Amino acid sequence: MVVLVIVLALFFDFTNGFHDTANAMATPIATGALKPKAAVAIAASLNLVGAFLSTEVARTISGGLIKEGEGGIQITPVMIFAGLIGATLWNMVTWLLGLPSSSSHALFGGLIGAAIVGAGFGSVDFAVLMSKVVLPALLAPLTAGLVAYLATRLAYGISKKRQRNGYKHGQVFTSSLVSLAHGTNDAQKTMGVITLTLIAGGYQAAGSGPEFWVIAVCALAIALGTYTGGWRIIRTMGKGLTEIEPGQGFAAEASTAATILASSHLGFALSTTQVSSGSVIGTGIGRKGASVRWKTAGRIGIGWLITIPAAGLVGALAAVVALTGVVGVVIDTVVAVAVIAGIFLYSRRNRVDARNVHDEPTVLVRPKRSRKQRQAEAREAEAREADSREADSHDESTDNSKAADLA
Amino acid sequence: MIDWAAFFIVLVATLVSACLVVTLYSVGLRLIDGTRGWRRPAGIACFVLCGLVVLYGVYLVIPYFHR
Repeated sequence: MVVLVIVLALFFDFTNGFHDTANAMATPIATGALKPKAAVAIAASLNLVGAFLSTEVARTISGGLIKEGEGGIQITPVMIFAGLIGATLWNMVTWLLGLPSSSSHALFGGLIGAAIVGAGFGSVDFAVLMSKVVLPALLAPLTAGLVAYLATRLAYGISKKRQRNGYKHGQVFTSSLVSLAHGTNDAQKTMGVITLTLIAGGYQAAGSGPEFWVIAVCALAIALGTYTGGWRIIRTMGKGLTEIEPGQGFAAEASTAATILASSHLGFALSTTQVSSGSVIGTGIGRKGASVRWKTAGRIGIGWLITIPAAGLVGALAAVVALTGVVGVVIDTVVAVAVIAGIFLYSRRNRVDARNVHDEPTVLVRPKRSRKQRQAEAREAEAREADSREADSHDESTDNSKAADLA
Repeated sequence: MIDWAAFFIVLVATLVSACLVVTLYSVGLRLIDGTRGWRRPAGIACFVLCGLVVLYGVYLVIPYFHR
């Protein structure tokens, strides 16, 4: 049982990694500051390093998760197992849809669902759930959006148009900072869960921190997931919400990094995913001439709203089956593996990877497309690009003439 | 229920730090583009200051430094 939970936890860590590549790397990839492959390689190595740098979050989380999900009731490895199934499957579904949703919320949701089945409704403190998870989820994008809006106005107010490509160099640093901050936070969750399981199974003394091998495998799993890259989500964040220029990318990442660092150091935890989505929207509002696709934003918002209930529902179902005994656990495992494999196979029909990450998604997911349609879309995209290049050079010449006038 | 004071502090800290980084980098970009003699060094100074703010971020990320 413990081995099964650890394997599942590591797979969750992997999905967490490829879900969250987009948070740091969607904007530099969208503006061309970094080549897609280089960007995910940087993100992966910084996540690997970040996971080793700090285990403080893991220590607090292995306690915090129980309290939030359960209110002091003893959690069993079977419940953790069911919760992880809920979280992992929901992560796979949102990845298939290209939705940036919070992996921590999926984890909370799954564990809450499993806890309700395993220990009843009284085991979940809904007031804590509101104040720790639901309200921050509303405040995170608002905060980051507001800051990114102001930062974008500043950047575009100060710099001149022909200088703005210089922001690309800055983007490399700000996005790396976001990656590092992510690494120090997110691998910790899985470490916390594995440590919790080891303690619950009696393999480790209560109250001790994560073992070195746990840190090492968690770091590797999240780095591998990050390197695999959730290209679908990167495309949604980088292209689906708004057009991003280097100046906006820099402003958005600076806001994301500032929000995450401030919130994690001043004791008001905010989700990385929601912060960076908020930043991208804020920067879209901040630049004149940029438009935000509110339809996509709305879809992402709905995704956030249903993450906890949906992961909770799957977690609860898994718990109902798993609590019947060994056979139930086996059934759970088989079903989960089948669903994950099915999603992978289904996703291959409409691959999104380093090569076509720059295509604009007209809808979030269009699984059934013939080759002809795809070719037609590629041609359209090329034509659009050529158009925008012309427009750019045109803008530049007018800008230069304005500068000449001023001089 | 919710700790509004903590949230307000986070909001202000975020605003100040993000705007500081963006302003410094933008002023740096603008100055380094100039032709006059004093502008380039001033621009580089802005980049260095901006880099220091980012390094402070790295310092905050790694708990080893400030335990």
